[in-house]
Amino acid sequence: MVKMSLDPVQVMSGQVTELKVAPSSNGDSRGSWEEKEEFDQDHLGLTAKPKPPKPENAVTIAVSSRVLFRTEREQKVFEQKGVEEYLRYQIEHENEPFAPGPAFPFVKALEAVNSRLRELYPQSEELFDIVLVTYNHAHVGIRLINTINHHNLFIERFCMTGGSSPIGYLKAWHTNLYLSADADKVREALAEGIAAATMFMPEKLTEVSQSQLRVAFDGDAVLFSDESERIFKAHGLDKFFEHERENEDTLLDHGPLKGFLEALGKLQKKFYAKGHRLDCPIRTFLVTARSAASSGIRALKTLRAWGLEIDEALFLAGAPKGPMLEKIRPHIYFDDQMFHVEGAAEMGTIAAHVPYGIAQKHNAKQNTGVRK
Amino acid sequence: MVSTVQNTDVKQKESDHAVVVAVASRAVFEPEAQGGDNVYAEGVAFPLLQALQKVNERLLEENSAESLLFDIVLITTDSQQQQQSSHLISSTKHYGLEVSRFCFSTEEDFIESLLQNNVQLFLSTDRNEVSQTSQKGVLSALLDEYTTSCPSEQLRVLFCGDAVIRPDTNPTPASRQAAQSFSAQLGKMRQRFGMSDSPLSIVLMTSCGGRDSCGGALRTLRSLGISVDEAYCLAGSPRGPILSVLRPHFVLSDCFSGLED
Repeated sequence: MVKMSLDPVQVMSGQVTELKVAPSSNGDSRGSWEEKEEFDQDHLGLTAKPKPPKPENAVTIAVSSRVLFRTEREQKVFEQKGVEEYLRYQIEHENEPFAPGPAFPFVKALEAVNSRLRELYPQSEELFDIVLVTYNHAHVGIRLINTINHHNLFIERFCMTGGSSPIGYLKAWHTNLYLSADADKVREALAEGIAAATMFMPEKLTEVSQSQLRVAFDGDAVLFSDESERIFKAHGLDKFFEHERENEDTLLDHGPLKGFLEALGKLQKKFYAKGHRLDCPIRTFLVTARSAASSGIRALKTLRAWGLEIDEALFLAGAPKGPMLEKIRPHIYFDDQMFHVEGAAEMGTIAAHVPYGIAQKHNAKQNTGVRK
Repeated sequence: MVSTVQNTDVKQKESDHAVVVAVASRAVFEPEAQGGDNVYAEGVAFPLLQALQKVNERLLEENSAESLLFDIVLITTDSQQQQQSSHLISSTKHYGLEVSRFCFSTEEDFIESLLQNNVQLFLSTDRNEVSQTSQKGVLSALLDEYTTSCPSEQLRVLFCGDAVIRPDTNPTPASRQAAQSFSAQLGKMRQRFGMSDSPLSIVLMTSCGGRDSCGGALRTLRSLGISVDEAYCLAGSPRGPILSVLRPHFVLSDCFSGLED
């Protein structure tokens, strides 16, 4: 197979934006901005960086500064001394880059996939687009940009809202997944139909792959709705099994992260089309407490009916997820229950909490024997 | 011929320190649609005027002797409106707008009236007017139908950080100077307030360039004494959706032309 070289000029010539010279006056109206085409300075070949894709074509991942980088020290300043002191501190330390945070390996893996996609499809805009969305003040802007440069991340788009809600901007950017440290913002995003999860820094970090993006999902209340969990919580395990058996051929309703799995699947198919099924740089996992012989069947049938392939489905039948995740080593694992998120983090897996569904009404540290 | 009428309901600002903002009366009132009692209906720039007043109100709360305030002037070039100047004045008083004076001039000499009144920013819905004044070195910005949906409690000023290339008009050194001096005063005003709950928000947006382009713009503004509240780097993504969330009252772009790469 011939590998195409990443010649920047070639890459950009396939993405010509027309220079439409609009006869506008010096004072530009915002309304007319939508119609005018821009002269893209990058197109002059002034930079060797590839051009970011159009948001509607890309799989847009929005990350907040607190999950992309480690900002605990600064957070403390904010909490203890207030916003003025916090901003002063940030400006003082402007030339000190932040250390990588929990979303960092995930973002690096997304970039690795992008490189492979660009090799195979140099004209395509079906790529991951990583956007920094933070409600930080623009005073922190220069430090964040310096940090992105330091770590050589490919993040060209950001919004720093200076305190107001970022949700409107998430929608404007067709965001496919939003990762934040703030559970309230994540809940807000979920309410608006945007896949979102809260990330936490694990105490220890197990090494993850540099070349293959590995994403793991819980089933109920993440990929699927929480309907079955509701049965379990209300009526217990036996009732749950009975319900699942009776409804085996009824599709489960979709959960908040179904769309994101779908987006990953679309990109996977692009690799398969070029003969890269075995060494596909994206791999997906289902890690569920359902059991293979019974309740898991409904889950698989649902996925199949949705036309979604998942590479590996692990049915734990109630066994703890931590050890399994430790073996899988995903860049991110999505679960609706804090109990599992914490369990995963204890073993070094980067886990993200999806605050959705019935499980949110229960205490995370609830003591149980068999958990669904 | 230019004539100026003072609004006796409003305390006049100190001319040395105030920031004079001239707004076309056509943008503030709808002359066609009259309410009762010869009072005009609100125009698209109404929230803008309210926001400017809010800033003044808060500035005076911080310091009752503050002289760095917005000094709002209404400019009328329309001969029809001039004949109804009393309606204009009574409408202004009716709504309690903090307009210091009214300028009436012909289309030929309205630029002169701007210069006479030491106008530092001219706002209008008329594209031609804005273009002409700009070329004469008066900082100008175009208002449009979006202005009407902007907040009235907070003035939101958008700095466009990368040069949008306009074919005919290259900003003159005079207009760049005007832009920088207005912006510097805006920066000073912003400093009077804390980080949160400010009645003035300074927003930066770069449309085409990547993060370094935005970083450069942040540094440029900082060197002019302007600290930015919000920053958006679009790197080529469409502006419309972002702008409709941002809702700036007006856009300034002349600060950066020439300074940009």
